[in-house]
Amino acid sequence: MVDDPDAKVGADAAHLDGCAECQARFKLASEDARSVATLLAVPEAPFDVDKAFARVTGAPKAQPTLGLRFPILRPAARPTLALVAAVVAAAVVVVAFAFSGFFFKPATVKPVPVTVADIQALSQLADYGTITWTKQPDLHVVTSPTEAADAAAGVQPPTVSGLPSGISTNITYAAMPQAQAVFTFSADKAATAAASHGKTLPSMPAGMDGATLTITVGPAVGEIFGTLSQPAGSSANDISLPQLVVAKSAAPTATSTQVTVTQLEDFILAQPGISPELKKAVEAIGDPSTTLLIPVPIEYANSTQVTVQGVDGVALGDNTGVGSGVVWVKDGFVYLVAGSLKQSDAINIANNLK
Amino acid sequence: MVGLNLSARRMTAVPKGLSDEEAFEALFTAEYARVVGIANRVLADPHEAEDVAQEIFIDFHRLHSATAEYAPAWLHRAAAHASLNRLRGARRRQKREFAQALEAEDKTLDPQKQAEVAEDRRRLRDALGRLAPKPAAVLVLRASGLSYAEVAQALGIGIGQIGTLLRRAEATLRKEVSRGTSN
Repeated sequence: MVDDPDAKVGADAAHLDGCAECQARFKLASEDARSVATLLAVPEAPFDVDKAFARVTGAPKAQPTLGLRFPILRPAARPTLALVAAVVAAAVVVVAFAFSGFFFKPATVKPVPVTVADIQALSQLADYGTITWTKQPDLHVVTSPTEAADAAAGVQPPTVSGLPSGISTNITYAAMPQAQAVFTFSADKAATAAASHGKTLPSMPAGMDGATLTITVGPAVGEIFGTLSQPAGSSANDISLPQLVVAKSAAPTATSTQVTVTQLEDFILAQPGISPELKKAVEAIGDPSTTLLIPVPIEYANSTQVTVQGVDGVALGDNTGVGSGVVWVKDGFVYLVAGSLKQSDAINIANNLK
Repeated sequence: MVGLNLSARRMTAVPKGLSDEEAFEALFTAEYARVVGIANRVLADPHEAEDVAQEIFIDFHRLHSATAEYAPAWLHRAAAHASLNRLRGARRRQKREFAQALEAEDKTLDPQKQAEVAEDRRRLRDALGRLAPKPAAVLVLRASGLSYAEVAQALGIGIGQIGTLLRRAEATLRKEVSRGTSN
C-alpha cells in the first residue's frame, strides 16, 4: 500500500489529507514497511551466470522410476505429445475391447499385468488403422485452480488435505479440455504393419475393415506438487517423479461401429506377442462394460486392490518402494494420486480428497 | 479469490522462434539473477541461494518449455516457495546467524549494535518461516523488486490482494521483531 503508486490517488488521497486517523494508520504502515525492508536487506549475491548455466544444463535427465514421463507436464512438447497420444490411443484400444456392447464407460478399475512385450505388441495396433483427432488434446499449465477449472470445462481440481510432511505446498496446475480421437481400422494397413514386423496377422473379423472406434477422454485437471525442491541430502539427479500428482478426469468413453466387442477382443488378444498373463487377466474381468483396466508393467511395479472413498481402487507401488499411486473411479470421474511417496500416504491423501 | 485471466499474463521473457535449448538459455540469462536474488533475500546466504536457483532451473528445464508464457512467473513463485521451505527446514536444524550478510555492511556500527541488528534479522527470518506461505511469498517477492503485477502473476492471486497481504505480513513481522527486542 505504502509503495503502491496507484493506492494514494484521487478521492483516497484527498481523504487521507484530511483524516488524522487514516494518517496515523498510514504512518504506522510506512514504518512497518521501512523496518521490514531494512531487516530484509541483504548484500547482492555474486554469481557466475555462465558456470551456473553449464551446471544446470549439465544435470542429467532423470530416469523415471516407472519408465514413464508425465506428458501433462510438458505443454509445449508437441512431438512428445503426439507420440504419447499414439501410445495412449493404442492403450485405450486395450481398454475399449473390454466393453460388452458398443459403448464403454467405466465405473470401476481393475489392474491387469502387462509385460514390455505386451506394450510393444499393443503399440503396433496403432499401425492397423488411422487415428484422427476430432478434438486435439490441448494441455494448459496454469498457476491457479480457478484457471485450471476454466480450461477444463469447469472440472474443479480436487482439494488436497492430509499431506505428509515434506511435500511441497508449491503447486502447478494443469488442465485439458475434452479430447476425442477416432481410430479407423484398415485391413490393408494392418496386413502391411504385421508383414513389416515379420508377423502373421490373425484373421480379422468380417466388417472390421473400416470399422471405427471413437474414444473420448477428459476434461481433466491435475495438480503437481513439489517439483521445485528436493529432499535434503539427495542430489538433483535423484528426482524422477514429482513429489505428488493429483489428477481428476471425466471417465473416458468409447463407442464402436461395425464390429462387436467380442470380435474386437478376440482379435486383439490373438495378436502375436500378447502374454498369457494379460489374456487371462482380461478374460477374468467380471463386468467389462464398466471396468477401466489399469495396465501394470509387471517388470517395474506391483498392484493391490484397495478401497478408496468407499469404492474399489487400484494401488500401485513400484518395486523399489520410492513411488506409489492409487487410481479409482467415482461418480463418473477417474482419479489418480501418485508420486514419490509411501503407498499408505498415497491412499491417505486419496481418502481425504474433496 | 480473484484469479488473473490468461490475457493478463502475457509476460514472456523469451523471444519467439528460438529452439528449445536457445529459448532456455535466453530464459536463464534473463531470470537467473532475479531468482538468485529472491532466494538470497529469504536465506541471506548467497551460496544456498544459488543452490536453490539452480535446482529450480533444473526442475523447470525437465518439466516445462522455456517459451511458455508462464515461465517467469513460475520461476519467481518457485524461488519464493523453495527458499521459504529451506528457511523452515533450516530453522528447525539450527539457529541461523546472518554474519555473512552483515559482513558487507554496517561496518560503521559498534559491535554491540551489530549484534543487535544481527539478532533482529535472525528473528525476522524466523518469523518469516512461520508466516503463512502466501503472505510470506508476497513479501519476499515484493522485497526482491517485483512489481505488484508480477507478484500477482507469480502467485496466481488478484492484484487487489497484494497490498493487504503485504501490509499484514509487514505488521506481523515487525511485531515479532519488536516483541523480541522488548523482552
